[in-house]
Amino acid sequence: MAPLLTVVTLFYLYPAFEVLRFSVTNASLQRPDYSYTLDTFVNVLSDPVLYKVIRITAIFVLASIALQLVLGLVVALAANRARRRRLPGMVFIRSIVLSAWVMPGVVIGIVWAIILNEASYGLANLLVASVRLGNVPWLSTPNMALMSIIIANVWRGTAFSMILQYAGLQTIPDELYEAAEVDGASTLQSFWHITIPQLRPILMINIILITISTMNTFDMILPLTGGGPGQATEVLALRTYNVIFREYSLAEGAVLAVIMLLISLVLTLGYRRLLRSEGAL
Amino acid sequence: MRSRKIRGRIGDLLTYLVFVAALVFFGGPLLWVLSLSIRTPQEVYITSLRLIPETPTLENYTEVLYTAQFTIFLTNSLKLAVAGSVGAMVVAAPAAYAFSRLNFRGNNALLIGVLALQMISPLVVIIPLYRYFARLNLLDSHFSTSMVYIAILVPLATWMLKGFFDGIPLDLDDAAMVDGCTRFGAFRRVTLPLILPGLTSVFVLMAIIAWGEFTVPYILLSEPSLLPISVGILNFQGNYAETSQQVVAAGGVLAMLPAIATFIILQRFIVRALTSGAIKG
Repeated sequence: MAPLLTVVTLFYLYPAFEVLRFSVTNASLQRPDYSYTLDTFVNVLSDPVLYKVIRITAIFVLASIALQLVLGLVVALAANRARRRRLPGMVFIRSIVLSAWVMPGVVIGIVWAIILNEASYGLANLLVASVRLGNVPWLSTPNMALMSIIIANVWRGTAFSMILQYAGLQTIPDELYEAAEVDGASTLQSFWHITIPQLRPILMINIILITISTMNTFDMILPLTGGGPGQATEVLALRTYNVIFREYSLAEGAVLAVIMLLISLVLTLGYRRLLRSEGAL
Repeated sequence: MRSRKIRGRIGDLLTYLVFVAALVFFGGPLLWVLSLSIRTPQEVYITSLRLIPETPTLENYTEVLYTAQFTIFLTNSLKLAVAGSVGAMVVAAPAAYAFSRLNFRGNNALLIGVLALQMISPLVVIIPLYRYFARLNLLDSHFSTSMVYIAILVPLATWMLKGFFDGIPLDLDDAAMVDGCTRFGAFRRVTLPLILPGLTSVFVLMAIIAWGEFTVPYILLSEPSLLPISVGILNFQGNYAETSQQVVAAGGVLAMLPAIATFIILQRFIVRALTSGAIKG
């Protein structure tokens, strides 16, 4: 236990305390001296940029949750059905989907930057060429760029949702479906009245984990849009990085980091409640 | 009976439709990047969907490996990933054992604390660490960077390993202690060999995560000869992207290959580790 506690103190508790401390100073990365003030907090919270960043982050997170849950569930349902009916191909599909998840985030951004290349030889533009004239500005207009980072994030994260949902589906007893069939329920009815309620706790856990991983994403965004055009894809994590390491304002970055800390705290409490109600803790 | 059979057929058809769609969406981008990586510069600009180029070439790979320092980046990634995941296991295994076996005061509270740490973005801890590493002259050092890798991997490793320890009956180490083993002896001789599959899968998963780690080296390392592939490839893309996509694609393939290959070989274990970590806790 001692090694763990040392690591936690040195690399989590102390930094968290320091972040809190810097957030009430006017510290900068360039000069060593600083004084305590609440002005930084006031400045950051009254800056309209913050609300723009939060709005973009919220869209990024919510869209990722919706798409990853649905896609993950669809693939998991297919995989589960393939398992029960002993259809071949399940492990192959799972490997492909998970490959997108295990690769480094930066490489995911690079892959999508290549796919969404705005010239006519980019894959996405080749595909839309048959139905539409001209090239689509996937990365250089604000709304399209936001959509593009969402697609790339969903491409990355669906695998994890699929794995969780698939594990959840396997725990639903077959008898429930058999009983429903005896009662004359249709496939769709069994899905709404058995599958979804039985999966509910796992879906909730999944929502929390997607929120966390999406909130902390900025590796994938750098090679894809770099936060642009303008600030159209500058999510909270990327904003925090830019404020500290490009604008050198340690104090303002610390305020943003405090906001990130608070969000993860709230999410952890939600996760804990879910695990408790599942009897896992 | 007949309608049931037809329903089954339709279900199988739908299952495979989902599989094909998943294959195209998740595998398509990977195939495209792979295809670009073996094209000559002229063939990058063709506007057709042909995957296999007329004159396939490995020149992009030799260029990336020999002129663009990728050999150094890949070696650095390997070093950091191994140091980080070995360290994380050393710190996490005894702690996970204690969480699973000893009923000490505050056990649960601490465990939730560990869970909370897992939710914190590496960006938040790295901000103050950057400052104090700068003062201690520990920037641009693989030693300090791998320490932070360990810290970032430890919460998830502890959480997952605890799940594996929980799966081993308590009676076994009690029996060993009755037979004269010390508690540590019971851990080393009885429990440890039993959880070896679990240890291996958590270790591999940690190594894959460390391979893709971006935030920590991006902030702590700037000397090009020390960079891991995740950071190296971002700089590389910045310099090359517009002029030679095929070379960037080759770099991307090299960066993702180790993670994907390791994963596919060991996926059965890893998938189990993933689900037990997220659901069972």
